[in-house]
Amino acid sequence: MASPGTRPLSAGLVAVLFVASGLVAAGAFAAAWRRDLTAALGGVPLMFAGAGVAFAGVSRFAASASGPQLIGQEFAVLLALAATALVALGLGIAGRESSR
Amino acid sequence: MDSLHAIGFYVSSGISLAGGLGVALLPRRDQRGMALGLAGIGLAGIYLSLSAGFVALVALVCYLGCAALLAGRQYRSLEGVVGPMWRQLGAVGAAALLALLAYAAFRGDFVNATFYGGSFDVAAIGRLLFERDALATEAAAALVLVALAGATVLWRARERAR
Repeated sequence: MASPGTRPLSAGLVAVLFVASGLVAAGAFAAAWRRDLTAALGGVPLMFAGAGVAFAGVSRFAASASGPQLIGQEFAVLLALAATALVALGLGIAGRESSR
Repeated sequence: MDSLHAIGFYVSSGISLAGGLGVALLPRRDQRGMALGLAGIGLAGIYLSLSAGFVALVALVCYLGCAALLAGRQYRSLEGVVGPMWRQLGAVGAAALLALLAYAAFRGDFVNATFYGGSFDVAAIGRLLFERDALATEAAAALVLVALAGATVLWRARERAR
């Protein structure tokens, strides 16, 4: 039971955008820091994940009451699919190039 | 967001960010793949706490697939030609990007509105994906299909060249 004067734990849009920016920055760090290009490819889905979290958070907290509520979630789905496609194609190209 | 969702959000955020740092810093590719899978699990938790259950499911499948691809032993490493100084500059640039985005998130003036969606509103997202934005869905499906077919062709060509 919470003592008087304490506020319940909550998370708002700013917290979501902080996490999204952290994911984007972690992805950029991974892409820049790894010497191996195929390892650097692992940073790209992280950046996509950060963008998806930002879209879903805006859709959750700052959606217009009259407009569609789920556009951000829809875009997050498309971003996750695009990240998978990018990793698959990138690793395929890397495997082929390295066999020459 | 009530306390239970907020706790889930913060725990999932920590898991996801730790996985992201693991992708950047861990030395072996199986460890990096596991870290990306961990980031995907945390990401699914974030989406769940944001009342986006369908997105959580899709993200979990996609990022576990990415993790399995990255952790595999079937591809060989490609050494980059970028020197250590440029890599360090890139890391500093990533830190600057984090500071800029965090400042923008903190100072941004966002409109707040009531959220009407459910926790797992598949029907509404399905209507958006297959009615309102059917062209974008078709484009994404074509992209995934071309990428997977291209990856398969490239792997087969590589195996044949051996």
